[in-house]
Amino acid sequence: MANSNTNQLHPLGATTSQTFTTALNHTAASTIAINFRELIKEPKELDEASNYLYQALLDDVVAGIFIETHHLRKTGNLAALDGVGEENLESAFHICEMPNLDIFGISTAKKQMDCTCPNCDRLVAAARFAPHLEKCMGMGRISSRIASRRLATKEGSSASTSSTSTYLQSGGNTGGTDDEDDVDWSSDKRKKKSTQSSRNNGSKKNNGKTF
Amino acid sequence: MTICDTVDQYTIMSGDRLKIKDLLCNRLTECGWRNEVRLLCRNILLEKSANNSVSVDQLISEVTPKARTLVPDAVKKELLMKIRTILAETDEDN
Repeated sequence: MANSNTNQLHPLGATTSQTFTTALNHTAASTIAINFRELIKEPKELDEASNYLYQALLDDVVAGIFIETHHLRKTGNLAALDGVGEENLESAFHICEMPNLDIFGISTAKKQMDCTCPNCDRLVAAARFAPHLEKCMGMGRISSRIASRRLATKEGSSASTSSTSTYLQSGGNTGGTDDEDDVDWSSDKRKKKSTQSSRNNGSKKNNGKTF
Repeated sequence: MTICDTVDQYTIMSGDRLKIKDLLCNRLTECGWRNEVRLLCRNILLEKSANNSVSVDQLISEVTPKARTLVPDAVKKELLMKIRTILAETDEDN
């Protein structure tokens, strides 16, 4: 209020002594108030003003509601609010309470989950896949023991001269990683297939399921 | 300056516009108008969503006249009286 007093007394001095913006604000505010009050004095103007204000506020509210609905629709929540229809409710989400079936109606029996080994191209059960791979690729602890044992017996068998002993040893150690040696030693009695699969089959028979 | 601008400026400045608007929102929600208008908007949106080229402004300008007619008379009268009193009060203060 002190500012407005100085404005009235020293208009020129007031604008120079205060900052320009605050002076402007004060004069603007008072101008608005003055204009408004002059307007209100007329009853017709008052009616028009109040009608206008009512309309403007109502338009704002309607726009707000529309934008809210539009936003709901764009985010997909409008359909979500509606929910599932009553007739769909029963058929789509019926709870299954039969024996041997779980709540979705799927059988609880063990499912056939077989994998194909990339090494030997056989179908192996999923639960047995890791141990099979260990032996197949020769990487686990047990595979390395088999390999070292075979190497030892191979050296032993190369030292001995009788064919029966070699037969027994090679028979005992069916499978192995040395292709040519196996074929040479056991040509007669045991037709040793040089395919990897039979060798691995043999090794599995001897050394499988030791744990 | 036009009447609209003066009224707007003054009521915003004095903080009355906010008060009146809050009152209007409360009354409209109480009387269920808001839910009706929401349903109306939803129906219009679902109808017009077939052709994607309709703008938000167009839809709002469609909804507004219908929404205006839906306002109950009692609310309208109360609000108009309230606005008039508030606007006139400033005159008395002066």
